[in-house]
Amino acid sequence: MNTLPQQLANGLLLGSMYGLIAIGYTMVYGIVQLINFAHGEIFMTGAFGALTVYFYVLPDGTTMWAAVPLMLIGGAIVAILVAVGAERFAYRPLRQAPRLAPLITAIGLSLALQEVVRNFYPGADKARAFPSLDTTHDIGSVTIKDADIFLILAAVVCMASLAVFVRRSRTGRAMQATAQDPDTAQLMGIDTNRIIVIAFAIGGFFAAVAAVAYGLKYGNVDYRMGFLMGLKAFTAAVLGGIGNIYGAMLGGIVLGIAETLASAYIDEIPGMQQLGGQSWANVWAFCLLILVLLFRPQGLLGERVADRA
Amino acid sequence: MTETTKTPPADPTPAPAPHGLIPLPPAAARALLLLGSVATAASAFLAWTWTAEFPGDLTITGYPGGLQWLTFTAGVLTALLTLASYGIRGLGWLLPARNNAPLVLTAIGGFAVTWFTVIAISAELGGLANLEPGGWIAAIASLIPLIGAFALPQDGNTTDGGKEALKAYIAKPDRIPAPTPTAPWIQRAAITAVTALGLGVFTYGIDTEYGELFVGYLIVVVFTVWALHTAGLLDRFSHLIAGNRSFTLAMGFLAAIAFPFTQTNDHYANIGVNILIFGTVALGLNIVVGLAGLLDLGYVAFLGVGAYTAALVSGSEFSKFSGVQFPFWAAALTGAAASLVFGVLIGAPTLRLRGDYLAIVTLGFGEIFRIAVNNMDGDSGPDITNGPNGIPAIPDLDFFGFDFGETHDLGGFTLGRFANYYLLMVLIMAIVVLVYTRAADSRIGRSWIAIREDETAATAMGINGFRVKLIAFALGAALAGLAGTVSAHVTYSVVPTPYQFAGSTPPNSAFLLAAVVLGGMGTVAGPLLGAALLYLLPEKLVFLQDKSLLAFGIALILLMRFRPEGIIANRRRQLEFHETGQLDVPQQTTLTDEPAVTKAGA
Amino acid sequence: MTTMTTTSVLEARGVTMRFGGLTAVRSVDFTVNTGEIVGLIGPNGAGKTTFFNCLTGLYIPTEGTVSYKGTVLPPKPHLVTKAGVARTFQNIRLFANMTVLENVLVGRHTRTKEGLWSALLRGPGFRKAERASEERAMELLGFIGLAHKRDHLARNLPYGEQRKLEIARALASEPGLLLLDEPTAGMNPQETRATEELVFAIRDKGIAVLVIEHDMRFIFNLCDRVAVLVQGEKLIEGTSDVVQADERVIAAYLGEPFEGDPGEAEAAEVTAAEATADATADTPSTTGTPGTTKGDAQ
Repeated sequence: MNTLPQQLANGLLLGSMYGLIAIGYTMVYGIVQLINFAHGEIFMTGAFGALTVYFYVLPDGTTMWAAVPLMLIGGAIVAILVAVGAERFAYRPLRQAPRLAPLITAIGLSLALQEVVRNFYPGADKARAFPSLDTTHDIGSVTIKDADIFLILAAVVCMASLAVFVRRSRTGRAMQATAQDPDTAQLMGIDTNRIIVIAFAIGGFFAAVAAVAYGLKYGNVDYRMGFLMGLKAFTAAVLGGIGNIYGAMLGGIVLGIAETLASAYIDEIPGMQQLGGQSWANVWAFCLLILVLLFRPQGLLGERVADRA
Repeated sequence: MTETTKTPPADPTPAPAPHGLIPLPPAAARALLLLGSVATAASAFLAWTWTAEFPGDLTITGYPGGLQWLTFTAGVLTALLTLASYGIRGLGWLLPARNNAPLVLTAIGGFAVTWFTVIAISAELGGLANLEPGGWIAAIASLIPLIGAFALPQDGNTTDGGKEALKAYIAKPDRIPAPTPTAPWIQRAAITAVTALGLGVFTYGIDTEYGELFVGYLIVVVFTVWALHTAGLLDRFSHLIAGNRSFTLAMGFLAAIAFPFTQTNDHYANIGVNILIFGTVALGLNIVVGLAGLLDLGYVAFLGVGAYTAALVSGSEFSKFSGVQFPFWAAALTGAAASLVFGVLIGAPTLRLRGDYLAIVTLGFGEIFRIAVNNMDGDSGPDITNGPNGIPAIPDLDFFGFDFGETHDLGGFTLGRFANYYLLMVLIMAIVVLVYTRAADSRIGRSWIAIREDETAATAMGINGFRVKLIAFALGAALAGLAGTVSAHVTYSVVPTPYQFAGSTPPNSAFLLAAVVLGGMGTVAGPLLGAALLYLLPEKLVFLQDKSLLAFGIALILLMRFRPEGIIANRRRQLEFHETGQLDVPQQTTLTDEPAVTKAGA
Repeated sequence: MTTMTTTSVLEARGVTMRFGGLTAVRSVDFTVNTGEIVGLIGPNGAGKTTFFNCLTGLYIPTEGTVSYKGTVLPPKPHLVTKAGVARTFQNIRLFANMTVLENVLVGRHTRTKEGLWSALLRGPGFRKAERASEERAMELLGFIGLAHKRDHLARNLPYGEQRKLEIARALASEPGLLLLDEPTAGMNPQETRATEELVFAIRDKGIAVLVIEHDMRFIFNLCDRVAVLVQGEKLIEGTSDVVQADERVIAAYLGEPFEGDPGEAEAAEVTAAEATADATADTPSTTGTPGTTKGDAQ
């Protein structure tokens, strides 16, 4: 049986999730040239926010139709609060500091967020069950779950709205201007602090969407889930060309597909029999990052050379 | 200045009313300080509680135990400083600036450690009833110098009340009188004495047997060091060091070597060897982060590469190459070389790019290393590392018949297994310190700093940025690999779990980075101190273990916000991070006698 | 175009630089001879700095070649410096947290060879080289009059001294040609005059100098030859008198229409493109933008 279409679909799904998270990295980086290492943890807090809504806010027996939008809102509120709070209290005071300072802060923040959840969220020291949408549908030779449909829909809607927002709205254009040249933008009367906060908030929102999709798809969440997902999403952002929102999504999808195909088929290559399977997927994703940095450091859609400023 | 960040939360810093900085004549204040501190010291000889259930046995009258010794020490220090403030001959050197801040700080320290003890007794034994009269006396006695201290006038001429008035009490004066020149032998004697004292204090800290004692120890050490800082003694000492660099280094190593001879229990030598491994790796990381400004987030993986390499060629029967047993020097070189190769492989594609990419790629590499060694068990990957089981039964080293696994008697001292490895690690650390200091003070070291400062300008000065960054990165990797080879033997086995980005026990990349940042980037002593602190804290404070990562995360954020240069500030770093310019006039200016004109240039 | 009586130090042939669709520098020919001080002027956005960056290897010219003493310069800044072309920056870019002496020692990088091993082993060769470097650096500090501040941090120097230190750092690489990018920007008249003398003194050491400036008086006092760049093209080149008298130059500076429309917009575009490309190589610089020279020089 030909498994390729199924694998491609899996890759596309995984990739959209990376892409959604990558938006947060790419927008923040595009504007303040900061790798917000803690973004993976913002994704994680989004998942726990949604979980809270499901288990502690909604009455038992709420149908998933009603629950999912509310969980989305809950997750988004938590993730946005965390993202904006991080910007306001951890990063903003360091804006003029040497480059290393905000990076180290980000690491501290990422550890602290993980540990806060692990220590203080009930039962979060182990994986916690998340309501999942497991009903499957067959489309040709491809089987997908309801959760996958949610993910694809969410990704498409989010990307489309973001594109419109950035191009059409006043704030979106101010954002582009700030990304080009923060000093000049400020001189032109743009409140750059506000723009930066908005970038963090959008990143938080997208991460929350991805987090809900993650939970619905895999059926559990844990305090460490942000680390690898964040790392991969950053890889996706670089792959697509950091600073470019479409690049982030494209990079995510390319990474997702490459990773899925590698873990599915690489063991068929003579000499690499033992390097297949899920356990090596991360290794291949990482190798892809190295290759991209070697041969196209500006990323797939990056126009200007990647090391701007 | 913000050493408060690492003051244990147990410290009940008193908060007098904003203006009520106790109205007493200065003479009375000073007298209160003196009498109170003597009384505090004396109260340590009383029985504080009735049962030996509280660790350290504080029940004996006439002989202080455990935490009482700390109260005693703090009381004596306060008394000495107060006497010095009276201008008693022979003590003047303790207070070169004749300022009151050191008095205030030691008084707070004495108060804090005493009250911590009393509160700990009541809390652990269940109620104030468990205090003997001696405990009450100690608590009251330690309060007296505090009253005296806050009745003293502030050093600065602060008129505003509130926070500023409190801050002025503990402010370091802007100008410390220059020391009178002393003969070289006196300088060396001073350095020797301070080193010996340092060894004593450090050894005491490692040997603390229970958490309460360690907390008390930290309180006293923090406030004492802070007091010495505000007194200007630390500045004077660093001047002294600057004038006798190699002598200080030699003394430092002597002290390091002396440590296992002061130990009777091999367990503490084990702590010592782990601190050394951790510190050595942190120092290697400091070359990469502190000098060249490259953020390496997967540094522990290089330690892992070294450890695994050494394990594979150690002759362990569980090694894939169980027949192979390299002599240690060859294994160490192989380990370092393997790490170097990985360093170049990771560095070459990423160092051409902006620094942030390096951070993320090294983070990825660290994670990949762990995943890879976890999977290379023959089932889910090639059979090399035994997967999660790791490579156990690594034989002890043997140098010319000196078996590291055996206990040796050396001139009346017994050196256990860990003490042997400790001495080997001192040697390795000596090598790394030498590499660090020599590299830093040379053409290549200058080009690292230049790259860190302004890469474009550095390239325009003819520096091949990629090349020198790669050298720094590879050198850092090789040093970590070297340390890894020893750590494989010390721990008997290598397993994948310690080699991760963040975990609750060292070493892991986050801890290493925290050690460098906390201690002070770009200094030699900083990472070593940071490593020691970060290793000891979770080791001694078992109750903290679960929250230690949380504490580190928050500590990193706060450090970057308030004291980014770390505990031990590199002069450059200190100037770099504090843009406001209050520190802009370096110490050097007092030497050249030319006030530096500070101007915010480009 | 130039009288080739002396040998040329720097020779640019048909240098063109495009950023995307925008041509910032269009086939510029340019020569600097030994012992000459040459000025390069032009209105804002004329492509002076772009051209400068092409000369120093920061940008790779889209077309054309730059050669130094007959050999084509490699397109890497550090190799250009090694070949013998040193530069300063428009916004001072010292190593702010290194001492004055260390800054100059970094300038010696290309003229010394001691690598990591010799630094670790500290043989006699290493000590000798370090001592020689330090002597040479102190000589240069004496030359610019900063020897007494050797142990100060560069950031603590007053503005004028920072400029001087940057020149000393560039001289430390023993260049045959020194490129100065707006050396008097932000200086008062006295400092400007001092800089003038410093440049003459450098020329007297046998080092050719190429200066980019806004300050006309400074340029015309200083330079043997002046080239004018307008809209990325070389408008005219000649002695100060010739250039000063040329009405096209005056027109260009006053913003008169010239060969089509120069337009604010296009100039701004060039600046923007430069800013973007500028950023390609560098770390976030401290952008202490000094005021324009003209204002200060009056």
